[in-house]
Amino acid sequence: MNILESIISLAFLSQVIRLYTPYYLGASASNFTERSGVINIAIEGFMTFSAFSYVLFSIKSGSPVIGVFVTILLSLFLALLYALFTVALKVNHIVTGIGFNLFIAGLTKFFLVYFFQSSSNSPQAPSIPSISFLKFVPIIGPLISDPVILFSFILLPLSQFILYKTRFGLRLRTAGENPEAGDSLGIKIRAYKLYGVLISGVLSSLAGMWLASSQNSFSDGMVAGRGFIAIAAMIIGRWKPLNIFYACLMFATLESLEITLQIAGSGIPSQLVQILPYFITILVLLGFVGKTKPPAADGVPY
Amino acid sequence: MNRRFLINSISVFTSVVITLLITIILLIFIGKNPLEVLALMIGDTLFSGYGFGQMLFKATSLMIVATGLAICFQAAIFNIGAEGNLYFGTFISNVIAVSFRNLSPLILIPYSIIAGMVASMLVALIPPFIKVKKGVSEVITTIMLNFVLIYIVNYFVLNFFAVKATVRMEKVDDSLMFMKLFNLWDFLKGSSVNILFFLGIFIALLAYFFLFKTKLGYEIRAVGLNETASKYMGINVNLIIYLVFLISGALSSIAGLNFVMGYKGYFEIGFSSNIGFTAIAVSLLAKNNPLGIIFSSLLFGFLDYGGLAINSLVPKEVMFVVQGIVILSIIAVDKIVNRIFVT
Repeated sequence: MNILESIISLAFLSQVIRLYTPYYLGASASNFTERSGVINIAIEGFMTFSAFSYVLFSIKSGSPVIGVFVTILLSLFLALLYALFTVALKVNHIVTGIGFNLFIAGLTKFFLVYFFQSSSNSPQAPSIPSISFLKFVPIIGPLISDPVILFSFILLPLSQFILYKTRFGLRLRTAGENPEAGDSLGIKIRAYKLYGVLISGVLSSLAGMWLASSQNSFSDGMVAGRGFIAIAAMIIGRWKPLNIFYACLMFATLESLEITLQIAGSGIPSQLVQILPYFITILVLLGFVGKTKPPAADGVPY
Repeated sequence: MNRRFLINSISVFTSVVITLLITIILLIFIGKNPLEVLALMIGDTLFSGYGFGQMLFKATSLMIVATGLAICFQAAIFNIGAEGNLYFGTFISNVIAVSFRNLSPLILIPYSIIAGMVASMLVALIPPFIKVKKGVSEVITTIMLNFVLIYIVNYFVLNFFAVKATVRMEKVDDSLMFMKLFNLWDFLKGSSVNILFFLGIFIALLAYFFLFKTKLGYEIRAVGLNETASKYMGINVNLIIYLVFLISGALSSIAGLNFVMGYKGYFEIGFSSNIGFTAIAVSLLAKNNPLGIIFSSLLFGFLDYGGLAINSLVPKEVMFVVQGIVILSIIAVDKIVNRIFVT
């Protein structure tokens, strides 16, 4: 097969978008919490938790819609717990994140064996239902009729609007940039940090559920570092929704290119392509590719 | 006994009790008899020579990695890169060990160990370099570096070193293997615990002495407490940052040998199974005190092997949950206890 032909094909483009979806949801999750000044390196864990919860509840109830709603509720609870540690108790954010990652990894491994008697994967789970009338849109129909993919595109203008055009966004950013100043103006800083964490819980939950839904099952280690790639995309995107969007699109394109070349038998080793997101991030941090600056009070307990 | 020690003891004790309570509730919730499970776990681990040996074996790597991390954490450096360092250093050790088979073990053992340590220390220099030059937090760089190192090592293993149709490397020569402790004590028969366990205890003791009884150790802790004040006291903060990374890099590499030269005899893809991250929990539970790490790593070793022991009653993965609860309860309880007693 002609390699060039397969790269510019529609199949390639839709593969890019499918890879982009969990990255952008995860990166936005990370961005909202860091904008409020709370670092969450447990995005990976949150995604794993939601992927499992979605599979468990949609199989047990027989309805993917119930699976989605129960999972969103549970991940709000998980995010609340995260906020209890980082905002109320002021535990170091990094330590909390590591703790949550370890705890969730253990929890999902255990419940996978407990509920499905397998240490590797769950039985087949239903997909999140698609929006039927959008299926008939020519060319892009199959993609945008998936509600999560559709949402991941709406999320870009939505987060631009929320962060920069609303009072809520301004206050959220104040909590991350200069909480003392915000506090002296009467803004409830801790409440906004809580909102930031809760939003990150829901967004990373969508990312995790979408992964499970698109693979129709949960398997141990299925998130495979996507939560960390999402954080990398946020850093490269300099905490700005549009730049993060480009970063996610870049990572997704690279990954899709790798898969396509692999199938075409180009002989480029997959591990070296898998390194790229992390490697590019290190280069960016070293200052080779522009400058990055996190919110001023990022990770500082208040 | 000073006040600080008392406060730390209270918070560690409280969180262990909380973990035990949550575990019992979890066991009841899934319809098991907690007494039966705990009895089996304790019986098969603490009252069986093999189980006891396996517990010490599992504790060994954690003890060594956690000691290195504790030195970083004392300097308020959040090094999350132990996993990558361990993976990379141990790989290099294995490469040297199988490439120079004709050397005498007397030379080859130190050569491969030191080569791994040096390799691990070299990559451990990257995060402090970026931190010192660009002011970028080590947290992000160490996370990214972990992935880079693991993928690079996997690439080399799969393409150049793997035994055909496996994901492991060639076995090192038997003469390179660390002595198993059951050669000394018969009751440990069959377990994998080896002399590295004693080295681990020695390293922890040494690290305690280093941190709390030497000038350099004092400087490390001073940087951790207040970087700016340390700078004005004349401490070379950048040097301290590089130093703690080097120490933890070197120790991580040694810890991986527990698997390669102490157990299987070869490097295998995925062998590290999150030791580098679990060790963070081990260090935090010990309040970053190397003496405490001896005990907290034994506790985690107990949980690791205890999980296998109770597998017939409860899936062994339940112990991963318990380890997660331990870490979450210690960090929460510690804050609360400090709020009550330190005012």
